[in-house]
Amino acid sequence: MPKPAAETITFTLDGLEVDSPAGLMLADAAKLGDVEIPVFCYEPKLGQPVGACRMCLVEIEGIPKLQTACSTPVRDGMVVLTQTDRVKEAQEAILEFLLINHPLDCPVCDKGGECPLQDITMGWGGGRSRFIEPKRHFVKPLALSPLIAIDRERCILCYRCVRFSQEISEDYQLVLQERGAHSYVSTFDGHPYVAPFSGNIIELCPVGALTSQAYRFRARPWDVEGSGSVCTLCPAQCNVEFTVRDERVMRVLARDHAGVDDGWLCDKGRFAYQSVHVDSRVTHPLLRVDGELVPVSWDRALDEAAAGLRSAGADTGAIAGGESTNEEGFLLAHLMRGGLSSSHLDSRTGGTLSRDLHAALHAPQRQACVEDLEFAHALLVLDCEPVDDAPVLDLRIRKGIRRNAVKLAVATSRPSSLDPNAAAVARFAPGAGEAFCAALNAALGGEDTVVDELAAAAGADPAEVQALAAVLTDAGEDVVIVYGERLTHGPRGEHAARALLNVAGRVITAGHDGCGLLELPAGANGRGLREVGVLPNAGPGLTPVTSPGLDSGGIAAAAASNQIEALYLLHVDPLRDMPNRRLWKKALARATMVIAHAAFLTDGLWEHANVVFPAESYAEKEGTVTHPDGRVQRLRPAISRPDAVRGEWQVLADLCKRLDHDPGVLTGPMTSATLFAAIPFLAGLTLDEIGGRGVRWPERPQAAAWPQADGGPFGLEAPPFAPTPNGDLRLGTFRSIWAAPEVELSPALKFLRAHQRAELCPADAQRLGVAHGDQVTVSSNGSQVNAIASLRASVPGGTVFLESGLEQDSASELDAGLVEITRA
Amino acid sequence: MSHTILFENIDEPGLNTIDVYRRRGGYEQLRRVLSTMAPEQVTEELMASGLRGRGGAGFPSGKKISFIPKVNVDKYLVCNADESEPGTFKDRELMQKSPHMLLEGMVIAAYAAGATKSFIYIRGEYVEQADIIDAAIVQAREAGFIGENILGSGFDLSLVLHRGAGAYICGEETGLLDSLEGKRGNPRLKPPFPANQGLYQGPTVINNVETLATMPHIIAMGGAEYAKIGTETSAGTKLVSVSGNVRNPGNYEIELGIPSREIIFGLAGGPPEGREVKLWFPGGSSSPVLEPKDLDLPYDFGSLQEAGSMLGSGAIIVVDDSVPVVDVALKLAKFYRHESCGKCTPCREGTRWTVSMLERVDSGLATPMDLDIMASVQEQIIGNCLCVLGDAMAMPIGSMVKKFRAEFESHIEEARLRNPYGGAEPDPDPVLIQGAASA
Repeated sequence: MPKPAAETITFTLDGLEVDSPAGLMLADAAKLGDVEIPVFCYEPKLGQPVGACRMCLVEIEGIPKLQTACSTPVRDGMVVLTQTDRVKEAQEAILEFLLINHPLDCPVCDKGGECPLQDITMGWGGGRSRFIEPKRHFVKPLALSPLIAIDRERCILCYRCVRFSQEISEDYQLVLQERGAHSYVSTFDGHPYVAPFSGNIIELCPVGALTSQAYRFRARPWDVEGSGSVCTLCPAQCNVEFTVRDERVMRVLARDHAGVDDGWLCDKGRFAYQSVHVDSRVTHPLLRVDGELVPVSWDRALDEAAAGLRSAGADTGAIAGGESTNEEGFLLAHLMRGGLSSSHLDSRTGGTLSRDLHAALHAPQRQACVEDLEFAHALLVLDCEPVDDAPVLDLRIRKGIRRNAVKLAVATSRPSSLDPNAAAVARFAPGAGEAFCAALNAALGGEDTVVDELAAAAGADPAEVQALAAVLTDAGEDVVIVYGERLTHGPRGEHAARALLNVAGRVITAGHDGCGLLELPAGANGRGLREVGVLPNAGPGLTPVTSPGLDSGGIAAAAASNQIEALYLLHVDPLRDMPNRRLWKKALARATMVIAHAAFLTDGLWEHANVVFPAESYAEKEGTVTHPDGRVQRLRPAISRPDAVRGEWQVLADLCKRLDHDPGVLTGPMTSATLFAAIPFLAGLTLDEIGGRGVRWPERPQAAAWPQADGGPFGLEAPPFAPTPNGDLRLGTFRSIWAAPEVELSPALKFLRAHQRAELCPADAQRLGVAHGDQVTVSSNGSQVNAIASLRASVPGGTVFLESGLEQDSASELDAGLVEITRA
Repeated sequence: MSHTILFENIDEPGLNTIDVYRRRGGYEQLRRVLSTMAPEQVTEELMASGLRGRGGAGFPSGKKISFIPKVNVDKYLVCNADESEPGTFKDRELMQKSPHMLLEGMVIAAYAAGATKSFIYIRGEYVEQADIIDAAIVQAREAGFIGENILGSGFDLSLVLHRGAGAYICGEETGLLDSLEGKRGNPRLKPPFPANQGLYQGPTVINNVETLATMPHIIAMGGAEYAKIGTETSAGTKLVSVSGNVRNPGNYEIELGIPSREIIFGLAGGPPEGREVKLWFPGGSSSPVLEPKDLDLPYDFGSLQEAGSMLGSGAIIVVDDSVPVVDVALKLAKFYRHESCGKCTPCREGTRWTVSMLERVDSGLATPMDLDIMASVQEQIIGNCLCVLGDAMAMPIGSMVKKFRAEFESHIEEARLRNPYGGAEPDPDPVLIQGAASA
């Protein structure tokens, strides 16, 4: 359902006429007239008001009883009184009631100083209590989960947390137990509340009943400062506010941005800040001397690195990890193409796409934005799992379905957590995205005769493909396709991209607002890095390059066969983040010079890096990143860099200078300005314009400078058939939200650290003699990983799913499409 | 004095079977409605009858049905048989002895509202009555009065009996709907009203058992004729449950508007030998109490409202002078504290606070000042809650404190003299008093 336009009405508030959009709740509309109506349970983000706390009672002319402002939509000509004696008495009464069981332990309460109950009591309370009976008592505090402490005595039963769990994250874990004055918030049977978005209830709680275990007693509000920035732990790039005390990040809060995160954060984003301050952080330049990494001075590290690069020259390969900013990527490309005359650089993990396909897939007229997810007629989630790939978008999709009746179609290999909300679900074999898109394209085009064959190639059910196509064609004109970067990975990635563009051509009207494509890249800043030229076949702004270099897979193969001497790893450990771990091990071992920017010494760097530059954490960085929907967002340093850590832009610029190719940048903002000037579709952009909310470049007039490309329809080749299991199992991989070094290193999140599980269906498990929880070995071509068998009824037969991105036993150890499973 | 419509054949053996009910003219009105009347005509008859809801709120029943939007969506009819108001037991007798009267009324009401799915939400404690209704539903379905194409008219109605789990709040119409949907029985915010968004978000008519059971009779005699019974604003007859300190407690059918004294003394026999009426609840435990001087009030909606109370569910509870008013208040407050759902603040906290204060009054730990606080707390509850449960405690307690203040005060004084420590713990151990050990 497209976003409705609101008309303006006029109502009278305490004798003054106020203009407001129609349908706004009075509690919000009053703010337009500079009147604050106190609320506890009301939170528009949580959906329909419940009217439980009764704090917002106001007088409305013509209605005898006081009305709750949170649930009364403002109407034209309405006369509202908020300052009468009757209203004041009611407000005082409600506060008196709320406080009779509240412990008033504000001096030792974490919420003290930033507590709505305190503020509203000071502002609207009667200032006295007549209650002398014993208060209600509970054991406290209890661990609601390892992340959240619950103090039930402080709870004012506003229902916010329960509504979040029931209606926003839809994990349905929090409930209210008992009734009347004995009511309390709990999970069923006291199980820990563990869910990807559980931390949001801490921020929602209007009292100190739900507090962060990680932040408890660490600071008082007057000790800290808030510093706005952007979380770069995943492509969702949520806007955050770091709570800083004495140059340490103490907490991460959401910085509500409707165009990005809608005010929510995932638990990784909320708690992984702890990894900024761990002892294992690299804080000095390291150099490998006699096989050991030892701390050295910056000059020595830079000189050694420059010498190594100079001797390797054009035989240098570079990989940029998803956390790198646009500026870092830009300088890396400058270093590689200018200083070393090498085009062997990449930020994608799964092969090359032609410039034209890049340009067509991300063309401004075909680009959907985050808000479109909420207001589309139909939404296709294709070969991605939003809760893992860009968690906060999962909540946005659920919101659209719940509130705006968006029709969801899910087409993935691995069963998705969105399946229960979907109008149509189709499964296809892992890696068969191309064949699936071709089948969907045929179904949309009414070429029913070929659908069956293409669906068979994709390992999909033709009826499911047809049903999916029907959802996309019947819902309405606003169709959004969210697809994972992995769809266009692999040797046939370009064919998959063309098939996807054909599908898009059938359901998306280019240039029409409210529909389009949205890619979830593998790296947090995947889109930005490509646009600033960290690609083997394109320079800054997707300009053509004379001699394209090797992509990431090619770099690994070349290094493994001694054709590439030096490897430059910007925020990336290939053993962790890249497919084909075996090849990369060889590549790292063979390379004579491995230079890395890293905050932590993950395995690959610990063993193979020759020079390690200490990297900034995301709380220390300045620069810009680009959201998957084209929003350029600004990172601002919240804390100063520890010890000898320097800005990455500075390190890269210094190296460029040593290689006689000075980029001429002296400060971070200067780097950004140089970058904007070099890229036609970002021309004229300034950091001030980006500000705290970001700018979507596809919406600026300069977007016209985006390279023109053929968007199809293309003639498609017959896709290859997905391998037939024949007793073996097809291997599918995924990277969960928790598979990241930041999770392993944050004490609060350690308990969520991912372990390898082999997800397979009960029928296959029975055939293989494997039970749920068994230790199994998954092997192919002589390599193997250990895993715990996890039986899921929804996994398609003949397929096993393994997690990648793990420290040990990562799925990237295996490189074949078919694997064997044996009990260990 | 008594005027029987609903209770005309109520004590006839076997009336709960369809054969006896039909022999007494049962289901004839349904046949007439389905074969000769349009739904709008039924609604018009109901509106003309002046029938007001018998569950407690007294909303005009015909009007309620007319609020159902005429749109092509699934509509629902729900019979509220959760009869949980203390002192009320009229629906129990009606369902037990004449279940088919209710079923006939439901099909008529559903026809008028255009509802095709109906439910009876019966309180969990009514085990026997639920079994009887279940049996009646089977009989009615076999006879073709419920189900598809009823009596060949093309009108379909499914009927499901749902047993509650014993919560007072599920008698509140929106709490009932939530409970029926399988959720925690909490009242919903209104608007939207059930007529627009009720059960499963569909338009829903919710009526009390007695209201629905009256409908066949209205059709039989005609709305205008029915309106002649009773008073102008309170038409018809009403089942009254009389309980408490009376000699003949029980259900009586009366014509609305007769003097209350006639019910309490005439029908129920008045208080036991040598006792006087101290106070009486005219409409269930949630109605503000009345005094002996109000006994000559006509028993109808308007007169009781003018006297500051209400007709409610029509349950008269008589309290004689052998019972301390504090006991009545405490019993009542404890009930509402126990039954408060906890969703909204004033009710959840106010009921608990009131009980604590009344316990102190009872044990002599209170002062007359506490009575002022108690009265003020009741005022803070009234009108500020999400549903009427909070008001249901605050109105009678408030009226008792106001009307029997002298008795409350003397109760405090007597309890204090009887028990100087008020039953509280004795003086604390001296070593626990700061500094006592060193002194």
